[in-house]
Amino acid sequence: MAHITVDGTLLEVTEGALLIEELLHNKINIPHFCYHPSLGKDGNCRMCMVEIEGQKRPQIACDTPIKNGMIVRTKGAKIDQVKRAMLELELINHPIDCPICDQAGECQLQNYYMDVGLYESRLSTPKTHGQKRVDLGANVVLDQERCVLCTRCVRFTQNIAKTNELGVLKRADHSVITTFPGTQLSSPYAMNVVDLCPVGALTNKDFRFHKRVWFLQSQEAICNGCARGCSLFVDHHKEKYKEEVIYRYRPRLNVDVNGYFICDAGRLSYKNENACQGVHPLIRGKISESEYAEGKLLKLLKRHQGKTLWLISSTLSVEEMVRVQQVARTYGSFVSAYGALYEDVSFGDTFLKCSDRSSNGRSLKLLHIDASEGYFETALDEATLVITVGRNDVDTLDAKGYSNSVVIVSQQPLEACEGVELFLPMSSHMARDGSFINIDGRIQYSACAIPLSPDVKPLLSILANVLNDGVFTCKEVWEHHLSDRAPFLDVSFENLPIKIDL
Amino acid sequence: MGIKIVKREGGSLKDRLYIPAIFGGMKTTLRHFITNISDTSKVKTFSYPEVQPSDITSRYRGIHRLTKREDGSIRCVACFMCATACPAECIFIEAKEREDGVDEKMPEIFTIDVLECVFCGGCVEACPCDAIRMDTGIFSFVALKREDFVLTKERLLSHEAKKETL
Repeated sequence: MAHITVDGTLLEVTEGALLIEELLHNKINIPHFCYHPSLGKDGNCRMCMVEIEGQKRPQIACDTPIKNGMIVRTKGAKIDQVKRAMLELELINHPIDCPICDQAGECQLQNYYMDVGLYESRLSTPKTHGQKRVDLGANVVLDQERCVLCTRCVRFTQNIAKTNELGVLKRADHSVITTFPGTQLSSPYAMNVVDLCPVGALTNKDFRFHKRVWFLQSQEAICNGCARGCSLFVDHHKEKYKEEVIYRYRPRLNVDVNGYFICDAGRLSYKNENACQGVHPLIRGKISESEYAEGKLLKLLKRHQGKTLWLISSTLSVEEMVRVQQVARTYGSFVSAYGALYEDVSFGDTFLKCSDRSSNGRSLKLLHIDASEGYFETALDEATLVITVGRNDVDTLDAKGYSNSVVIVSQQPLEACEGVELFLPMSSHMARDGSFINIDGRIQYSACAIPLSPDVKPLLSILANVLNDGVFTCKEVWEHHLSDRAPFLDVSFENLPIKIDL
Repeated sequence: MGIKIVKREGGSLKDRLYIPAIFGGMKTTLRHFITNISDTSKVKTFSYPEVQPSDITSRYRGIHRLTKREDGSIRCVACFMCATACPAECIFIEAKEREDGVDEKMPEIFTIDVLECVFCGGCVEACPCDAIRMDTGIFSFVALKREDFVLTKERLLSHEAKKETL
């Protein structure tokens, strides 16, 4: 522990840590480009200048280890003049094309530019021009003119992705970020450089020109792409006279799971959510009211009491799974998760991506839901009604020679509805909240519930209406059904996220 | 906080009689009547729509127009500043990649619903590229259907600035 004084306030900090780390940790605004907590210091942008008592010249906060009794000034006429000069240098060749730049609104350079107010360029010679709209591959577009050469992207490919595709070419004014000749960005984590880039030099080709960022609203969620369960920000917006649309996923800092990054596959999986919009309940292929369809579900359950098989998916949340079990117990039916667990060896790697693609496969085992083929076949022989939940793989049933009634409760639109008694849409992953257990046994609550399709209900509401017991929310499910059974005895909704033994 | 006591006006006998005030008003009416009857060319009213107003200046906020560059192409870069500034949220833009090499971005769709517009001029103020103006001088906009009041990009581009008449 060490004590330092910053702008007259005494702070308790870790001795030997980098000054910028502690300043940012204490919410002291310190402009910086090249420093990033995951990439460490580089000291090339010189934006984080601070005055340190006893030192002749201003020092960069990112490469100054903390010593006890340091007196630091981040404000004042002298240091402002230095910062102003640094910013002017950064802006010499910057095109200031914020109107067409996707980063505008979340751009560090723009923020500092507005803070300092250096609106007029003092440059008498023309600006050095670079290439614009360079496709680096992997959905990353480079604008060389906007780059401040902080080399965060270069260091990311070197230290984190370890694919080394990027480098700085040429000298001085002509320096540009580029891929090495004949190569393209190819890392499955490449799009993280877009988040890392503090300016608009690297932008996301998939998001390019789709939405100005200040319109977006963010919600916190958990990715459902694989068993890792990375933390996300879901950026969505409802345009006037239109439905809610998800525009992008961004990584959310979670030191226990994914750090600052997510994989590109997860990042682009927002499209699946948007594809789940515009679905209607179908009774024997005919569009129906959702209340009527729910009534039909209840009627079918009663008619096939004791002879129903619930075939559930591993994408359901813990709460939904336990509620399906509850319904099954009430109506004396079977619950199987046959075919819900699947491994994709080509997907997994040693960083974040897991071969296990089921977002909540661990819960099946913990809740003793049988996924074996033997149990499924036995149950199917007895069943006169199969209800698939969160999946619509009718061909699995066909393959086993099943020919009785089928009900599908799923978030995905139905392609072929032949022979399907009832199709009841349920909210997709980002349209309902729920808890998921990741590969390490961490139970994480995904709070994101964007009303993507206003008429479609979450599964918990559908099941609450079937059971008629008023348990609608995840919190209520935890209180009534989960916190009193192993292995969730020490877990309550309030103390999520929590790690349990698998 | 203190209480400020305001003296109520109009309590005097002269005010309560109303007659002096009525005569005061009638005096003004009579003066205008005599001026107009002695020289009819000075009458302020005109027979609209046969006679159109001539005092609409370039500062008058009429129907919007999208301006063009020197080469005749659209100036707008779809930065959404106007849509952001619009208090009526009546500007609908969809951006696309600009392929002609003039710039990087342009609007695919740029519509203004003039039925929703409150003609505040906020869009003109907000535009960083001088791409939208309200100097067409169009003060009266007539259509038969609601849909015709939703002005498309092409329509907005076809509007011209009002010629200054001296």
